[in-house]
Amino acid sequence: MMHSSQLSTKSWQLTRNVLLTIGLVLSLIGFFDATYLTVTHYAGTELNCPLFGGCETVTTSIYSMVGGIPVALWGAGYYLTVLVLLLAYWDSRYEVLWRIATRMTMLGFLAALWFVFLQLFVIHAVCFYCMISAGTSTLLFVWGVWAWYERIAWRNVC
Amino acid sequence: MELTQGDNSSKKENKYEAKQEERKRTAAALQKKKTLKRVSFWTFVILLLGGGVYGIIKLGDASPSSQAAFLVAPVSSQDLVMGSSTSRVVLIEYSDFQCPACGAYYPLVKQITSEYQGRIQFVYRNFPLPQHKNAKLAIAAAYAADKQGRFWEMHDALFEHQPSWAESNNAEALFITYAGDLHLNVTQFTSDLHSPEIQQRVDSDYEQAVKAGINSTPSFFLDGARIQPQNYDAFKSAIDKELAAHA
Repeated sequence: MMHSSQLSTKSWQLTRNVLLTIGLVLSLIGFFDATYLTVTHYAGTELNCPLFGGCETVTTSIYSMVGGIPVALWGAGYYLTVLVLLLAYWDSRYEVLWRIATRMTMLGFLAALWFVFLQLFVIHAVCFYCMISAGTSTLLFVWGVWAWYERIAWRNVC
Repeated sequence: MELTQGDNSSKKENKYEAKQEERKRTAAALQKKKTLKRVSFWTFVILLLGGGVYGIIKLGDASPSSQAAFLVAPVSSQDLVMGSSTSRVVLIEYSDFQCPACGAYYPLVKQITSEYQGRIQFVYRNFPLPQHKNAKLAIAAAYAADKQGRFWEMHDALFEHQPSWAESNNAEALFITYAGDLHLNVTQFTSDLHSPEIQQRVDSDYEQAVKAGINSTPSFFLDGARIQPQNYDAFKSAIDKELAAHA
């Protein structure tokens, strides 16, 4: 009994470390991507816009600001929050930090859906960096569901 | 007998205390190590994130728009000029009819040119960005209107209707409609739209802007110095300062 419990705790630790690494990488990519968009917004420089060519149209559209703050800055704030929560969890192992981080990804995913919808059907232009962010948000959500599922699975075993 | 007993118990106590002390010391050392580990972990994180953000800011700044010296040509007879030709304060805008930011600046510029009418000279120069598919055709439309003396009216119409034609596959038809609305000779306008003379003017505009070092639109120059006003008040204060310097 003791043995199996130890084993499962160990396996959960391994799974959690894998999850933690993936979450950190995804939120770091998202953070740097959103930071680049924020910097170009405030510096007024032109985006180097590969693939779709619609960056300018998207980033200067009326939908690019929410509450007087550029969407890119909201995004950077979101990714930074997830990142710091995960790092703090790594450092302290407080379960609540992990729970907040994984649940927050739902917000990011909903925002990603909304902004992809706007790009495709309202603005009719697609911005490469915004799609990268939509990608990382979606993957973070999938990651969040996976983390939630794993936690429940391991909790039942332990 | 009693004495021996007391000796024994104090010895025991001493031993116990020493053990406690030892334990405390180990715990303190462990705590210190933990704190050190923690501090270095967060220092590393802050350095990594800070370094990344700094790199991105540098990358954003690396575009010539913020560091290169611009070689803005002086006003010539080829230029499209609005306002007082005698004024020594000259505002030059490099713009692209299809660029959304230029469209956003259009009402500001219009307000400025009307408020400072007779006091400043406003020069509009074209810089059609390659990623804007209808930008060159829009300039051709403005030049075709210019041939009938209505450049500024077409300039206004193009900016006011920018969302309708910007990504349209039939921008030409829309431009012809605007020409009709402005009571231009539409037949003449349509033939001028593709005339080699106008095409050459459009191409030359692009080359001149590239030569001047322009790499984004809209780019504003007030008496040769680049200005990046974020709103009307900033625009106004820059011009007021320049006017005061020339007073």
